[in-house]
Amino acid sequence: MNTAVIDVSRLPPAVEDHTSPIWWGNLLLLFIETTMFALLVGSYFYLRMNFTNWPPVRSDVSLYQTDPDLGFATANLLVLIASCVPMFIVDRACLRLDLRSVRFGMAAMVLIGLVTIALRFFEFSGLKFRWDDNAYSAIVWTILGMHLLHLITGTAENLLMTLWVWFKGLDIRHARDVRVGAVYWYWIALVWIPLYALVYLGPRWL
Amino acid sequence: MNVSHAPIASLSAPNEQAERALAALWTRPPGLLGWLCSTNHKDIGRRYVVTAFIFFGMAGLLAAAMRIQLAFPENHFLGPDLYNQFFTVHGTTMMFLFAVPIMEGFALYFVPLMVGTRNAAFPRLNAFGYYAYLGGGLLLWGGFLVNAGADAGWFAYTPLSGPDFSPGHRVDIWADMITLTEISALSGAVVVLATVFKQRAPGMSLNRIPLFVWAQVVTSFMIIFAMPAVMVVTAFLAMDRLAHVNTHFFNPAEGGDALLYQHLFWFFGHPEVYIIFIPATGMVSMIVETFSGRRLFGYPVMVLSLIATAFIGFGLWVHHMFATPIPLLGRSFFSAASMMIAIPSGIQIFCWIVTLWTGRPRLRVPLLFVCGFILLFVLGGLTGVMLASVPLDLQMHDTYFVVAHFHYVLIGGAVFPLFGAFYYWFPKWTGRMLNDSLGKWNFWTLFLGFNLTFFPMHILGLHGMTRRIYTYVAETGWGDLNLLATVGAGIIALSVLLFIVNAVTALRDGIFAVANPWLAPSLEWSTNSPPPAYNFYNLPSVSDAEPLWHSPEQKPVVVGLSTEKREVLNTTIMDAVPEHRYELATDSIWPLALGIVVTLTMTFVVFTPWAVPWGMFFSLLVLYAWFWRGNEPKFIVEAAKPKPQVAAQPTLVAPA
Ligand code: HEM
Ligand SMILES: [Cu+2]
Repeated sequence: MNTAVIDVSRLPPAVEDHTSPIWWGNLLLLFIETTMFALLVGSYFYLRMNFTNWPPVRSDVSLYQTDPDLGFATANLLVLIASCVPMFIVDRACLRLDLRSVRFGMAAMVLIGLVTIALRFFEFSGLKFRWDDNAYSAIVWTILGMHLLHLITGTAENLLMTLWVWFKGLDIRHARDVRVGAVYWYWIALVWIPLYALVYLGPRWL
Repeated sequence: MNVSHAPIASLSAPNEQAERALAALWTRPPGLLGWLCSTNHKDIGRRYVVTAFIFFGMAGLLAAAMRIQLAFPENHFLGPDLYNQFFTVHGTTMMFLFAVPIMEGFALYFVPLMVGTRNAAFPRLNAFGYYAYLGGGLLLWGGFLVNAGADAGWFAYTPLSGPDFSPGHRVDIWADMITLTEISALSGAVVVLATVFKQRAPGMSLNRIPLFVWAQVVTSFMIIFAMPAVMVVTAFLAMDRLAHVNTHFFNPAEGGDALLYQHLFWFFGHPEVYIIFIPATGMVSMIVETFSGRRLFGYPVMVLSLIATAFIGFGLWVHHMFATPIPLLGRSFFSAASMMIAIPSGIQIFCWIVTLWTGRPRLRVPLLFVCGFILLFVLGGLTGVMLASVPLDLQMHDTYFVVAHFHYVLIGGAVFPLFGAFYYWFPKWTGRMLNDSLGKWNFWTLFLGFNLTFFPMHILGLHGMTRRIYTYVAETGWGDLNLLATVGAGIIALSVLLFIVNAVTALRDGIFAVANPWLAPSLEWSTNSPPPAYNFYNLPSVSDAEPLWHSPEQKPVVVGLSTEKREVLNTTIMDAVPEHRYELATDSIWPLALGIVVTLTMTFVVFTPWAVPWGMFFSLLVLYAWFWRGNEPKFIVEAAKPKPQVAAQPTLVAPA
């Protein structure tokens, strides 16, 4: 009896793209998080059915105008969308193992992340209610807050990778990790588009 | 077909030196600390199964106490407050700490073996998942022991569970422990899916994946889409209750809605039943195939049924809410969907019966449990179809008819297959055989005790006995049937005791198990019992769905993986063509550390919202340590060093 063999020693020891298990692991995580946001959106509409005015009126606000402020929120949305550009540049630089671009690009991403986090806190102050005022404020604060958690984890992850590439350099496996982190960041920016529309434009347009 | 009891030679080490070298690479560090740091899927799977079984025993003791209380009218064994805690902690433990995790444990142990790889994907995430689960269990039972046992039922409906009607911290503990167990279920699901997607043996295309693995894939997808709902709803509940947060999600006075709670809970809660039941069908398929000695009838139909069950399973949740003001159209829709789900389940049952009918069945203990399963599950399914009809449900809602129904599907549909699975895989797991005649006693006592306990409950329900009552008066005439049910519960307890005795004696001096004692077809039986740390010396390749039944010695084997790093082979998702190699993480202390941080966070958040930012801060610190390579305590680094005697991996087994 002679056993044939499949010799895999020539296969690459690591890859950077979507054939990597960690890429899939990240995608599954994003399924989970997207489902979570979908449920928050469902709850938003469900609670809305209990209100004649959404957001509810407040007699102590001029013209009863309680729609959430657009200024900081829109600025933050634009920053988030624009941030996909440097992230994409880093993403491409990883394919070339271009250490310099990755180092500076990642550092820039950390700064951008901090800006979006700061802007989010201003967004909270543009809501016309405290979280414990009513069911409207509960769900809106929760949507903003859950997305804030992702901004924080995304930025923390970028900071970790930044420290790594500055102190330890770049190999294929860490380039892959940066790229997977980039997918996470694109998602953070992307989900915010419909959520922004829901929270900020919904009361004005719907 | 000539099947052997022996391990497949071409997959085993050619000599002792080579075997020792590879074992050293994959074995966890020594000692208790090494065990806590293990990232081996077999260690983790076993942990889940043993822990979940202990929780099964403890929840069973609570059930016994409830049955004693209900044995006679106006009994004084448990007061109303204790009874509330007992049924809540019983139900919660059985669902969240027993049924889901034990299925997950079997998956984590056997999926990597069945798909022919050396460890599960993301070994550290896997290790962490267990600690989160254990933390959740300790939180619930710790609360119970200090008289803060959850007491609002296993689904904790608002407004009862809200701040007005459940002061104190009982419900907070319940809500926060849910988060921990769901973190664990979700990480297990991600691990299983990535393992099956990317680490299958070359040639294991979608139509050659063992049905148990298919079942776990479908279950994992259900976990991914269902579990977020329960995390969201318990987070809402916790926020409504927590001082200084006090949101109004469920407070009608401020525009909140108690029914929103029910929708979100059952959007998770109904799929949960299938998250428990689908893995059980996977076990049944494996057992039926092996013991009927023929390929499973209707493999593609079986796979499609699993997928159909998963899809329909998400469209049923409102049948738990027929007694609430839901629009008529909605009720009709969910009623029809609930009846429709009987179709894929029915198809599966027919396939098993045909397989047994046309094969040469050997009625060993695992198959005995499967036969019990088929009978009882059909009964539970029938009452399920009855309850799916709205007018009937309005009569039976919250009566013992429902208690009977769900114990038939949960015990008949999951616990019987589980015991079958214990008898079937115990030899692989431990290297010892369980005793056959004790096994038969185990089966018959369980079957008898189960029916004595739960069949009378159908009748009690029809006579109007509502669930969750701690006692009743003699004039109701419910006494006799209740006494019968209590006697039955005693027999169940005896049966479980028999199983424990069987397991303990088998571990001490049971006969040794060969590699493939049942002449089974799937890959986990091709290696030693118990499997070595690295599972397969040479990874297998497959060219059919029953690899061990079709000249396994002749199939090509995979060689050339590193002998110095823990490397696995990644293959393509659809056809399992070799693609690249992948280094898995080493053993690590950080999953345990993260488990502790997360558990403490969820414990403190019972009292203060500030636990969240602090918990997040410490979690991030631990995660930095986790991902910063070369950052392990010394004893792990030492254990992970390649041993000097490692020779290059021989590419061929000795030709005969
Ligand atoms: C081992 C034998 C078992 C016995 C004797 C038993 C008995 C009971 C009893 C007496 C109740 C309380 C009924 C009431 O007062 O309304 C109950 C409730 C329940 N049981 Fe079991 N049970 C057993 C196993 C299981 C298993 C294996 C599961 C799940 C996998 C399970 C899940 C539940 C659930 C979810 C509830 C509902 C709790 C609630 O009302 O919130 N039980 N069981
Ligand atoms: Cu249901």
